[in-house]
Amino acid sequence: MGANMTTMNARERFLSFSLGAEEYAVPLLAVREVIAMPEYTPVPYTPPYFLGIMNLRGQVISVMDMRQKLGVKADKNAETTVIICDLGGVSIGVVVDSVNTVLSPGPDEIAPKPEIQSSKATDFITGVYRKEKKLILFLDIAKSLNLEDQNAIKRNQQTGNKSAA
Amino acid sequence: MDDFERELKVGFLEEASQLLSDAEQCFLVLESSPGDASTLDRIFRIAHNLKGSSKAVGFDDIGVFTHLWESFLLKLKNGETSVNSEVINLLLLCNDHVRVMVEALKQDLEARVDSTELLSRLNAMISGESIAMSFSPGPVSEATSASAFEEEVHGVFEGEPPPSKEELELLKLVNDSLDDLPNPALEVTKEEENLVIPDPGPIDAEVRSLPAPVFELKRAESPKASGSASTQDESIRVSLSRLEKLINSVGELVILQTVLREQSMSGGSHLLRKTIHQMGKVTKEVQDISMSLRMVPLRQTFQKMQRIVRDTSNMLDKRVSLSTQGDDTELDKTVLENISDPLVHLIRNACDHGIERPEDRIRAGKSETGNVMLNAYHQSGKLVIEVKDDGGGIDGDRLIKKAIEKGILKPDSKLSPQEAIHLIFHPGFSTKAQVTEVSGRGVGMDVVKTNIEALQGEVLVETELGKGTTFKVILPLTLAIIDGMVVKNGKFRFVVPLSHVHETLRPTGSDIQSSTGMGEMLLLRGENLPLFRLSRLLGQKRSEEQTKEQIAMVIRYSSQPFAVMVDDILGQQQVVIKEVGPEIRALRWMSGSAILGDGKPAIILEMNELVKPEGRGVA
Repeated sequence: MGANMTTMNARERFLSFSLGAEEYAVPLLAVREVIAMPEYTPVPYTPPYFLGIMNLRGQVISVMDMRQKLGVKADKNAETTVIICDLGGVSIGVVVDSVNTVLSPGPDEIAPKPEIQSSKATDFITGVYRKEKKLILFLDIAKSLNLEDQNAIKRNQQTGNKSAA
Repeated sequence: MDDFERELKVGFLEEASQLLSDAEQCFLVLESSPGDASTLDRIFRIAHNLKGSSKAVGFDDIGVFTHLWESFLLKLKNGETSVNSEVINLLLLCNDHVRVMVEALKQDLEARVDSTELLSRLNAMISGESIAMSFSPGPVSEATSASAFEEEVHGVFEGEPPPSKEELELLKLVNDSLDDLPNPALEVTKEEENLVIPDPGPIDAEVRSLPAPVFELKRAESPKASGSASTQDESIRVSLSRLEKLINSVGELVILQTVLREQSMSGGSHLLRKTIHQMGKVTKEVQDISMSLRMVPLRQTFQKMQRIVRDTSNMLDKRVSLSTQGDDTELDKTVLENISDPLVHLIRNACDHGIERPEDRIRAGKSETGNVMLNAYHQSGKLVIEVKDDGGGIDGDRLIKKAIEKGILKPDSKLSPQEAIHLIFHPGFSTKAQVTEVSGRGVGMDVVKTNIEALQGEVLVETELGKGTTFKVILPLTLAIIDGMVVKNGKFRFVVPLSHVHETLRPTGSDIQSSTGMGEMLLLRGENLPLFRLSRLLGQKRSEEQTKEQIAMVIRYSSQPFAVMVDDILGQQQVVIKEVGPEIRALRWMSGSAILGDGKPAIILEMNELVKPEGRGVA
């Protein structure tokens, strides 16, 4: 997935989903399938947003809660859906409140993310898109979950050990 | 030359080709990062290995050459010579040279290649002279892998009488399977992944003379078809990756079948249940067959050891006889491949360090000829390979002294006899004062241990001074399926490999004693075992754990036994190991996951890692 969406020629398609009251989108090509919330098995010593592992037709994959990851308050009434993403051969289940629609914005409709002084890392946001009155943030899934997670697990490990010992 | 010898030699040449290409990679890595100690170690091991195996099968030219090569590498390893491009060039040249030797031997087992020039260069380098070398890659570098492989395939058939019909078919199959492979550059390595199951039929000799190993799917009791020529089993070559796909799918099938059966128990017609029951039988059979496809007998590996014992003892001027037992025992192909080198080390060590000199033996009242026993058998779902010698045994005190001398141990260390014996597995440890051609450079036992542990196996040492030493290598039969104990902790289920569980018991009040300093201990038949609680190990907070955790599992898998309390044991079952995603693979206490009968995944616990405070961390 090219990080610089603004220069893309062909119309790339995105799957948009809700996290609480906010709306996000990921490149459709990275989405393998969308399933209902499965039963999962928690894994100790992982960060809270790492829900656990699930059985996807014989394959064991990790399930992560994007809402907790991004610190968005979950919508209690939402249906809760899992988007199975394919990140370079590795499948990961991403829990979201609900899946909305497929977008195919024109290249000039995506704006780069505004530069904001913030303590939170925002490099996983690849662009913003305004659909009517609603703002949709485009995410790089690998950046928002994968790399970050390994560090998070390590950090959690250290603190977890201290409390367990 | 008899068939047995030929078989050994051809086997070695296959192995050597692989080792050489590994070494080449290492040299290139070394060139880009000259100070990398682990790469140097690896190269050193490869050279050591080549030296040992080549001598064992009687290729003395390679043996002599690699010995010198190894000595040179030792200088590099010890930092006496620095790694520069000149050195790398020489190393690569040596690599090419050995490859030329190997290729020549593949064509003709009596072939000899002149290596005086390189030998003198190596000697010069070892004695510290730096000679200005003019490198002409010349003919040596032409023998690169991919094209060489094709040449061999043709070469073998050129020099022979017109191939018979069977041979042609076999060749065609070879070609077909090559065509199936997606990446031509991977041909050679892919080929080597194929399984070899020796076929006793007359076609055998031809099969063996092919450069790549041949996997033969034996057709069980193939009907005696038309014609007299086709009385032997027909066979086809199958790539290992395809086989693995099959095994994975069968694993799925078994799980789905279990789910189906559980469903039908709670309702459903009689006919449905009956059909599912029958399907279960067939599924089990399919699973057994598919698993057996990966199994190969130990015979060939054991045969190789005969020769190694003979040559090693000759070289050392000792008299050693090897007796083997259980060479029909079958083992997973991947496990077998990786166990061969450690076994060679163990056998050579038994001859060199274990068995005493003839005169010492007579003085000790033993027969002049030492005896090394190689014994393989199945024990509770595991394969055990014993290497037993009736030599002098291991002297724990001497090990400690040596370890202190080498700076491995602090001078005032106190070790139990068992701990002292484990010193032999320490990297760089060797008690032999003299560096012999056989062993004594401190490569070996640590590698043996690492290799075996990488296979989820373990090595046990039993020794008695004056009586002998037994190394027990305990291996899983296969890496894909394990017998697991399903335990419950809170709401969740976990799988513990059955082989790790020594016993389970329900301790009563006074069996568990706790102290502030040491934590809880389980008093078991005079033994005091550290006691852990699974919920705490997993970092879960529990308010009333005393009442909930009732069953203690005694784990004796490691050298330090301990007990873990769990809520309940739900049962034992075979589980297919499923790899987890890379994002959590770093958790070492989790050796994988398994899908249980109801389709939900459970974590496979590696208790040994879980009880170490640092084991829960990331490697």
